[in-house]
Amino acid sequence: MEITETTEGGQKIAVLDGRLDTATAAATEAKLTEMLASGGVIADLSAVRYVSSAGLRVLLKAAKQAKSGGHGFSVVGLQPAVREVFEISGFDKIIPAFATRAEAVAGAG
Amino acid sequence: MPDSPDGGILRLSLPLSAESVGVLLDRLEAWAETHEIPMTVASRMNLVAEEIAANVVMHAAGATFFAVTAARAGDEIWLAVEDDGPAYDPLSRAEPDTDAALEDRDPGGLGVMLVRRLCATARYERTAEGRNRLECTLAAGA
Repeated sequence: MEITETTEGGQKIAVLDGRLDTATAAATEAKLTEMLASGGVIADLSAVRYVSSAGLRVLLKAAKQAKSGGHGFSVVGLQPAVREVFEISGFDKIIPAFATRAEAVAGAG
Repeated sequence: MPDSPDGGILRLSLPLSAESVGVLLDRLEAWAETHEIPMTVASRMNLVAEEIAANVVMHAAGATFFAVTAARAGDEIWLAVEDDGPAYDPLSRAEPDTDAALEDRDPGGLGVMLVRRLCATARYERTAEGRNRLECTLAAGA
């Protein structure tokens, strides 16, 4: 898992590339926690083809951290396998998902 | 257990660690590619294998390894995960409330729920050798 930090329209974007699984969850959580400490974050998952429950836990923690800090947390570019996991687990109802970064930025504003 | 790269059956035994789960996924991905298993199906198979293995890695006190066997039989993928931890049937776990609000969502139980939903069949047994064994089948067609 590689995580690159960038900004778009004044919003912090975490670009994730790789599998979000048991082996990569801890490092991903540390990075998202750090980014969320100073504002909202949009997680771009376009290059994430796989998310397991360990990954879902990371995203749930991030969403909770954002909410308690009064910030936004959303995801972008869910791949079919990832979308399936989001829908089964009900995450599509608790984490805003957008097709593109631009839509997520507009949603966050 | 030895590997069987040409027999069509993947056999893998790994020590308990988060890194081992990464190794398991790498090997399953390569196996799925060799056997021309559609990506959506391979992804479900990986997820089921990871969730069962991760459960052992995180919760099975005293276990020393987990072993995964995967095979394709016609239009089905067959998957078995064994470990030498204390007797525990992950399928007995209650499902989380997927309608709860964000504040009330508890991250526990998600893995087992994914296993139940993605498998056509899932069966637990405590073997005569004193191992936990979870056997699943998934539809091989996309």
